[in-house]
Amino acid sequence: MRSFIYYIREFLRPEWLKNFFFAKTAPLVTPSYFKDYPTLTDKECTGCFKCMMICPAPGGIEVLRRKDQWVPEIYPGHCIRCGLCVEACEEGVLTSGRILDITRRDRTAFRSWYHLEVDDALCMRCGNCCVSCPINKQEDPQLGSSGTSSSDEVIMRIEGGRVRILHEEKCTGCKTCETHCPNGAIRVARMVEGVHEEVEA
Amino acid sequence: MSILQDIKNVVRSRSIHVAYVDVGSCNGCDIEVLACLAPRYDIEQYGIYVHNNPREADVLLVIGSVTPQWVDKLRAIWDKIPEPKVAVAIGNCPISGCVYNRRGTLTSPPAEKYIPIAAQVPGCPPRPTEILNAILSVAPLIFKDYEEKQS
Ligand code: SF4
Ligand code: SF4
Ligand code: SF4
Ligand code: SF4
Repeated sequence: MRSFIYYIREFLRPEWLKNFFFAKTAPLVTPSYFKDYPTLTDKECTGCFKCMMICPAPGGIEVLRRKDQWVPEIYPGHCIRCGLCVEACEEGVLTSGRILDITRRDRTAFRSWYHLEVDDALCMRCGNCCVSCPINKQEDPQLGSSGTSSSDEVIMRIEGGRVRILHEEKCTGCKTCETHCPNGAIRVARMVEGVHEEVEA
Repeated sequence: MSILQDIKNVVRSRSIHVAYVDVGSCNGCDIEVLACLAPRYDIEQYGIYVHNNPREADVLLVIGSVTPQWVDKLRAIWDKIPEPKVAVAIGNCPISGCVYNRRGTLTSPPAEKYIPIAAQVPGCPPRPTEILNAILSVAPLIFKDYEEKQS
């Protein structure tokens, strides 16, 4: 009985009643470091599409030609706010949260290149890939119609009955070889690696 | 403006019952909805209660990118909710399919194809505050003066 009365008394305290009916946690503010949808800075976009290539979300970002300049556009509902495009853009066109501050402080960046791979089980050594590649043609105008070449500067050539890749680093990722391979044997993949620049003491 | 309607408006503004359904998400958004229930965001202080029973619900939170198993069942859940009702899409998945919207995945977004969606909360996942704001801003639009709007 004593405890019953105690509870009634406790619950009738004006302070308790006020807290019970009008309690509110502090208004929840979004912290300034929240990694929200990337927004544009005033830097100029060069239209290199590095942001689009790194975006993991289908349809997250598009770089569009507006009048006579490139403008990246982020689509909420598709973008997952990962911030990779902000990090990948070398021009600093995009910003979100404190990503730019951190990459500048830590001197981190992305390095990318194209990796070529030929599946020898599918490849029939036709040489289409070597012949169709525009960079190959530039390096060796005398490139044979079967993909053979006497130049060591070509990206790839037919050598000893199979495709030999010599200069992967010259590849521009155009994928012409991929579309001209009758067997889907050659694959062009864009590789990205996070690099950390050493600070000189 | 009848007195009955006034009373209903007051009661409904402090008693919003929520059911959520995960139609194939990665669980990220489910966890953010869960965070709304926890003391930091404390959804009940706004008069929003989670029951997870469509028969009692006013608001249906749709989470996930709609897998084949859910294509017919989502509609069935929606039909069970009594009027007035509102569906809110939480996260990118029910809006666009998010990262699952590519070749070879078993999803058929958007959720709007199956039930009417009144509000969308994009994000992967959205912040709990964004979820709260969406529910609080869409609920009065639907529930206030509901009977008068009907007649
Ligand atoms: S933040 Fe991530 S998901 Fe969004 S546009 Fe940039 S790279 Fe794509
Ligand atoms: S926003 Fe940056 S990464 Fe994207 S196209 Fe423009 S310059 Fe390139
Ligand atoms: S992607 Fe283009 S540049 Fe690279 S190897 Fe193929 S054809 Fe040549
Ligand atoms: S085009 Fe395809 S099949 Fe022909 S040599 Fe190149 S990789 Fe092999």
